[in-house]
Amino acid sequence: MAEENSMDPIHQFVIKPYVRLHPFGIDASFTNASLFMVIVVLSAAALMLLGTQSRALVPSRLQSLAEMAYQFVASTVHMAGGHDGMRFFPFVFTLFLFVLFCNLIGLVPYTFSVTSQITVTAALALLVIGIVIVYGLLHNGTRFFKLFVPSGVPVALMPLLVPIEIISFLSRPVSLSVRLFANMLAGHITLKVMGGFVVSLLGAGFFSVLAPLPFAMTIVLTAFELLVAVLQAYVFAILTCVYLNDAVHPGH
Amino acid sequence: MTERGRRPDQNQQRQQQEQERRQGESRAGDDEGLRARLDKLSNALDAQREAATALDAAKAQQDGASARATATAMGLAIRILSEFVAAVIVGTLIGWGIDRAAGTTPAFLIIFLLMGAVAGFWNVYRIAMKPPGAES
Repeated sequence: MAEENSMDPIHQFVIKPYVRLHPFGIDASFTNASLFMVIVVLSAAALMLLGTQSRALVPSRLQSLAEMAYQFVASTVHMAGGHDGMRFFPFVFTLFLFVLFCNLIGLVPYTFSVTSQITVTAALALLVIGIVIVYGLLHNGTRFFKLFVPSGVPVALMPLLVPIEIISFLSRPVSLSVRLFANMLAGHITLKVMGGFVVSLLGAGFFSVLAPLPFAMTIVLTAFELLVAVLQAYVFAILTCVYLNDAVHPGH
Repeated sequence: MTERGRRPDQNQQRQQQEQERRQGESRAGDDEGLRARLDKLSNALDAQREAATALDAAKAQQDGASARATATAMGLAIRILSEFVAAVIVGTLIGWGIDRAAGTTPAFLIIFLLMGAVAGFWNVYRIAMKPPGAES
């Protein structure tokens, strides 16, 4: 049983409820996913709070890390949305830190990676698109619908192009959530399978001489997953900026 | 009439100002010299700092260019793939939904599948047509 679990690459994504809560018939149990979300939020908050505590002119490592994260996201938001986009900076920064810490903490063995659950990434993506729609309608009124009408196109082509633009807009939350979820899921499964190869080769008599090969591969893949973890957080943040920019300045 | 009345006044004022300035110059001579030296110093500092950052940037470019290029290219590849696939999926789902609601089983599924594919290509085209230096 225990061996079977350790070889099953999907087993790491099973959600286990720790505290069962069913208010109003909704399953709101405190699960391992919730636990790791709390850990992620606490560690992200700790980085920013402890990092900005001393406010030294010559920063410590922690302060420099916090400042780097801040500056990186600030320049990204400013580049994509200009001055008007900076009002979304707190939102984008929070999203970026949350996704980044989820991805990085998920890489530690025996932890649960929250972003490998499509419900979590879909909720984040729907939050982004919801803000785009609500803010776009409030800020621009009906001009927001210019988003679906490409400029400089003959009217005869409009019946064809407007549905395509609408599909393209609707595909944004899907691509935003599936990209993050699929990358994390696939990466963790690959790591688990490679680790499983090491174990099964070690128990295979003569063939155990081959065991170092998948082990080396696991090391390479771990480094690669580290890159993917940071990259996905970055891509999520920058696409959030791009979509929010559409809400601020619709009509390309 | 009024001009004549004013002129002596103005001349007096001018003379006074001139005198004050001459007196002040000897006092402020040290101040101005100091300011000039400070300006020169800060200019030199700026120049040095610029040179240092340029050097740093050049070095960083050599070190990190390939790594950053790889990361950026990978991010772009993942984005293009997912945007294309997502558009096709969304188109298919819309078509399937309309078909289920209207009972016209394969018609709208096919139409919206094709439209989803077009939207996917359109997304990819839009990403690819951005100037290479620009983010997003």
